[in-house]
Amino acid sequence: MVSDAPIFGFNDARADIVRTVIDRVMLGTKDPLLALNDAAYHETKRLEGSRRAADQRELAEWQKLARGLARTSDADRRAQLRELCERYGWDVAGNFDPRVFQVATRLMPPLVTALLAPSTFASMARTPSKIISLDALADKVLVEGPLSKLQRLVRRGTAVYVPTHLSNMDSIVFGYALERAGLPPATYGAGKNLFTNPLLSFFMHNLGAYRVDRRIKHNLYKDVLKTYSCVLLERGYHSLFFPGGTRSRSGGVERRLKLGLVGSAMEAYARTLIAGQERRIFFVPATINYLITLEAETLIADFLSEAGKGRFIIDDDESTRLARVGSFMKKLLGMHGAVVIRFSEPVDPFGNRVDDDGVSHDGRGRPVDPASYVKNARGEVTIDHARDAQYTRELGEEICRAYERDTVVMATHLTAAACFARLRSSSPAADLFTVLRQREAVTIPRDDLARDAVHLRDTLLALEREGGVRVGDAIRHASGGDIVEGALRAFASYHPQPVLRSGPAGITLCDTNLLFYYQNRLAGHGLAWDVIAPPGLPRAPATTVRGAAATGGAS
Amino acid sequence: MSAPGTSQKPAVGVVGGGPWGVALALAASRAGSDVTLYSRRESSHAKAQVRTTGDYAEVARARLVVIAVPSTVAREVARALGDHLDGSHLVVHGIRGLSVDRFETVSDILRSETPVRRLGALGGPVQASELIEGRPSAMVCGSHYPEVLAAVTTAFQHSALRVYGTPDLRGLEWASALVGCLSIGVGFADQAGAGPGLLAALISRGVDEAARLAATAGADERTMLGLGGYGDLLASIRLQDRPEVVLGRALARGRTLDEAIAEAKLRVEAIALIPRIVQFAREARVPTATFDALEDILQGAGSATIIEKMFAG
Repeated sequence: MVSDAPIFGFNDARADIVRTVIDRVMLGTKDPLLALNDAAYHETKRLEGSRRAADQRELAEWQKLARGLARTSDADRRAQLRELCERYGWDVAGNFDPRVFQVATRLMPPLVTALLAPSTFASMARTPSKIISLDALADKVLVEGPLSKLQRLVRRGTAVYVPTHLSNMDSIVFGYALERAGLPPATYGAGKNLFTNPLLSFFMHNLGAYRVDRRIKHNLYKDVLKTYSCVLLERGYHSLFFPGGTRSRSGGVERRLKLGLVGSAMEAYARTLIAGQERRIFFVPATINYLITLEAETLIADFLSEAGKGRFIIDDDESTRLARVGSFMKKLLGMHGAVVIRFSEPVDPFGNRVDDDGVSHDGRGRPVDPASYVKNARGEVTIDHARDAQYTRELGEEICRAYERDTVVMATHLTAAACFARLRSSSPAADLFTVLRQREAVTIPRDDLARDAVHLRDTLLALEREGGVRVGDAIRHASGGDIVEGALRAFASYHPQPVLRSGPAGITLCDTNLLFYYQNRLAGHGLAWDVIAPPGLPRAPATTVRGAAATGGAS
Repeated sequence: MSAPGTSQKPAVGVVGGGPWGVALALAASRAGSDVTLYSRRESSHAKAQVRTTGDYAEVARARLVVIAVPSTVAREVARALGDHLDGSHLVVHGIRGLSVDRFETVSDILRSETPVRRLGALGGPVQASELIEGRPSAMVCGSHYPEVLAAVTTAFQHSALRVYGTPDLRGLEWASALVGCLSIGVGFADQAGAGPGLLAALISRGVDEAARLAATAGADERTMLGLGGYGDLLASIRLQDRPEVVLGRALARGRTLDEAIAEAKLRVEAIALIPRIVQFAREARVPTATFDALEDILQGAGSATIIEKMFAG
């Protein structure tokens, strides 16, 4: 436990932090009428659809505010604005108790299990030593990367963790990974929907989470959030953002990010310089890789449905059904290396690699002073939003490259990619939906599939040698048969409908949607069919590995 | 930095003692900038008006550095210059080129070889001779950073030079490279006796294809259709000494590729780029009849085949 991390002083600092946020947002809001109108418009729109009494009351308040706006004086508007800022500021900050935190992290693995899989917890309770030991999950959840460097860096500056996002389990799993890696806890903005379960909410708060209500769309709320995040970073609170913004619907590794909160780091860094108290910020990309994903069925269905395109919050998926979560956890914890959290090399806010001592180095290894990037023509540090927005975009690209390099490929991803390549070659030139309709239509002889798997694994190993991906240990030396077998077991243990079915003629491809979901993990690497490239980005080339033959063997 | 406070003149460092580097140095000087030119040779034009040095450290005293060297040495110059730069510099290049293997732009090279992030490129129809003689012309600067556009405008714009800005850096770099390819076609068609109608068709169709290709590579289509693409290509019609045009003319006279290269005197990047562009277009399923025809030109096809190919699309 690293107990000198600033988060342990959060209780004392909270009022001060919230006040700073409110003052700064007030100062930055040039036109209160515009801000209030924007807020009232978006909130009215959101609340109109609701039947809940509390929402109806809130709606009435907003309508009243909107009606009165034109007549109120500027001073009154400022007062209303401040009131709103205060409400949002305190709502976001929540509460945090360091004493509970100490216990909570210690108890987390068994606690998560208890929350999610009571029967497993019961068996743990019989051997109390297991409860206070993190070893219970040690061989199930692997934590990899430059850990000792990160341990040094968090004492010299502020870490911003930016992992990939697949599942609602991510924040818990990542919090656990930090603890296992000997890194101090990080604050993060968790969706308010995760706070509805009182027990989970209690621990969320006490694991350093602040509340983000993603239903609120207006600029004032976004300003409060960004400013809150900025102030925390200025004060050295290590932070966790999921820059994908939302769980990856396709199962693919993020190639385009939502950079709002990431961008607050540029301002935070510049502000520490202006205040004469430079505090360096290190971005730490990471991948969270699951052999099986808790919400896979819902997410891919959402991806494939036209109606789902704009859906940002799913509040009725597997993660809200406790029995399903329980079964998932139980299965997950029964499998070796079922989750791999891989930390990437840390970079400064301008995309430069950082060494063990926190010194930034450019692409050719020359030391460079990060402060030089925020200076103007007269050598003064400035906050320039247009400039910082571009730095943020470039950092986003750097983070995406790190994701690609540090994606850990597992048996399910590899087997799904091999199967999907076969599925595709059985109806060449067809569009995605035609390919997906071939449920239970294709059966691959076991030996053929094993051969495809080995071929793809070798291609992955070649890509790994160029630094383009990571091959999971379970498949690194395994035979093709074992890889396929591993995937079959993993799919069958959790997904209620068969994904692959083993029969005398071979392996039948059943749930093509889920195969698509798992193969998408390799799409950005050019090793699986890439129909999920975000618009405006060139698709991954068919295969980028020199000396390797065509993708997936069967295509 | 440029001795702040001692001089109101914006300081500009220019790297490249060839005609293009000297022209840019003179243009900046004419706009009232305090110019330092890095050059390994003496230039009679430059000597009178700008300070010349053989030391990168001197050039890097200016916050704004402009690189105007042949694309073949861009990487090595960037690497050497990079030792003297930091995150506060603004670096802009005026180099036409795109790497053949992975379509790396020159700004990509600068990004990997220097610590600088605030990068930009120069393009458009402006010619070295116009800048040297002080005749009115127009130039495009592409950068994602508004302060780079502002600094270039301040340093270069004057009564005889208008600087237009675009945030589409990649688009401008792709446009410059693709204009290089299409200029071979302009030289070839002109020499082979194409009428004004055919020449116009070649240019318009070529620009259209190039715009779609650039968009596929992540650029904004409109950049190729504007001053940095279409405008730059139109200038080829009257540029008898643009190396690409010379090469195209020589090929039309039945010269072999090697002879044509010798005639152009300068290394023509487009020769290697054209087949790669054709391949890229095929992969991206963008029809590019004009570029297909250009590929045939390089392989020694006669004008009849080319017209057939060009109109096949």
